[in-house]
Amino acid sequence: MSLIEFLGNHTYRMVFFGTMTIGLVAGALGSFAYLRKQSLISDVISHAALPGTLLAFLTAVVVLGADGRNMIALIIGAVIVGTLAVLFANGVTRVSKIRIDTAMAVSLTVFFGGGMLLMRIIANGAFPGKGGIQDYLFGNASVITIADLTTSITVGALALALMLVFWKEFALHTFDPDHSTVLGFRARTIDTLMFATIVIATVIGVKAVGLVLMVAFVVTPPAAARQWTRTLPGMVALSGLFGAVGSGVGAYLSIVLGRVPTGPLIVLTLFAIFLVSLLFSPRRSIITRAISRTRARAALKRELLLASAPAEGALR
Amino acid sequence: MSFVLGTTLLAVVTALACALPGVFVVLRKNSMLVDAISHAVLPGIVVGYFFAHNLDSPLLILGAALAGLIVVLGSEWLSRTGLLTGDASQGLIFPALFSGGVILVTLNFANVHLDTHAVLVGDLNLAAWEQLIIGGVSWGPVYLYVMLAVLLVNLAFLGLFYSKLKVTTFDAQFATSLGIRSGLLNTAFMFLVSVTVTAAFNAAGAILVIALVVVPAATAYLLSTRLPVMIALTAGIAVTGALAGFWVAYVLDAATSAGMSVFYGVVFSVVLVATRLRQRRHRNVREYAVASSP
Repeated sequence: MSLIEFLGNHTYRMVFFGTMTIGLVAGALGSFAYLRKQSLISDVISHAALPGTLLAFLTAVVVLGADGRNMIALIIGAVIVGTLAVLFANGVTRVSKIRIDTAMAVSLTVFFGGGMLLMRIIANGAFPGKGGIQDYLFGNASVITIADLTTSITVGALALALMLVFWKEFALHTFDPDHSTVLGFRARTIDTLMFATIVIATVIGVKAVGLVLMVAFVVTPPAAARQWTRTLPGMVALSGLFGAVGSGVGAYLSIVLGRVPTGPLIVLTLFAIFLVSLLFSPRRSIITRAISRTRARAALKRELLLASAPAEGALR
Repeated sequence: MSFVLGTTLLAVVTALACALPGVFVVLRKNSMLVDAISHAVLPGIVVGYFFAHNLDSPLLILGAALAGLIVVLGSEWLSRTGLLTGDASQGLIFPALFSGGVILVTLNFANVHLDTHAVLVGDLNLAAWEQLIIGGVSWGPVYLYVMLAVLLVNLAFLGLFYSKLKVTTFDAQFATSLGIRSGLLNTAFMFLVSVTVTAAFNAAGAILVIALVVVPAATAYLLSTRLPVMIALTAGIAVTGALAGFWVAYVLDAATSAGMSVFYGVVFSVVLVATRLRQRRHRNVREYAVASSP
């Protein structure tokens, strides 16, 4: 299929640009999660997005009497509950001796369990427009509508704008939290803001990609980008680029190949980008490090031989 | 054995089998690794089915446990390269494996008819459906005996390697200086966790298995400062939670695993708040004593 033919089809166009938006936003904002050494928080967020969207659905249908599949309402619900899950995980480590990995696991499963209970309530009840709510588990990129696309672009742009406005605070707090506190920035406020942007980045993708795979969009591009660059702006830009390109290529492949689902194929594309970066990047990679190590060994050997040669001569 | 009794027993045994290794999972900071393992189950099962052509075959559990081990060893290798920071190495491999599994299922690889939704969510009542009947008498669900076997293997492993696990968990360097091969022990332990998670996912679903493994141990960790106490508390919380969660789900007509994980979460939160309040009161009393002393 040629590219023009591909972009001429409305559904394909929506899938292509929708996943690229998700990849760009998640990749760029994932950099901060990566540098904070808390990448897996995105997995907690995506699982907590399930009860969030379901609660929003119930509120919209039962309380407001509106259409339950309104994308903005669902995103707001997911962002609120996702942020609560993050605050719960980080709060548990602050007030007790539980460490962050356990706190994240507890938060993930409690929120997801709540989501499963809500799912059952919705499945048993008669709510208008409850079809498709199951898509949130695995995601379905082919149902992205133009309204969904504009919503994700708007919300994603909002998150990116937040990042740019608070760039200095985020960077300082990421690399030197103590210094940032001394300078008078409130650590908890910056933390909440930073995690809120990560929540937004994770949540906008859940409908298209599914909550299980969303973690890959947040973790993989920064891990790949880190191998090529040493500066924060470079990393954020490259990571966003990797996310967008990987999503675009994955979406294109999935449509060209036919029956293969989009989300998993994008994840595999991103993983391939990561593997290439890990193996072949010029500065930090497994191969360059192996080469420089061999060289260093050879140099050391030469030096030792040179140093010992005159000594042997003197003995003789 | 009546159906309700058999299912309740299955819930209790599954909860115990998961929670006991969970003690060391929590202490070794591997909690999120369980999440990663549980997602790798899907491709493992698909590939296992390719070889076994039977959904009840033990090859399936073995295949899935091996896939879990790939995630564990792969993450360790990635973080040992020193090119990645934080927990990213744990989040890189399992989505890729899971994606591979989903693609294999949709391509109808090996004609496996798996409901991916059932893999993620699981249903205890479905797992308890098939009854073991010997001599015309029902001996409870077949799966009860599978989980019982897993529980016994876990107990045997933890019993045999208790002191070694303890040393490697709390002081890895000292353990190495004693000549304990901590890498090998860790691999064996994680393989066991992998087997447990795989066996339990049938009853609990891949995602909620984490609740059974991590949350009782985390709650017990809040309440104890000694390992034997923590293990005993974990077992107690696991059993209570299984019983209560089972009935919550029964009353609400919801999936049992979801009811159990929410119930565990509630217990965890209550314990967290209670210990926090007690600490605060202790501090106040101490401050009062310091202030009033001459």
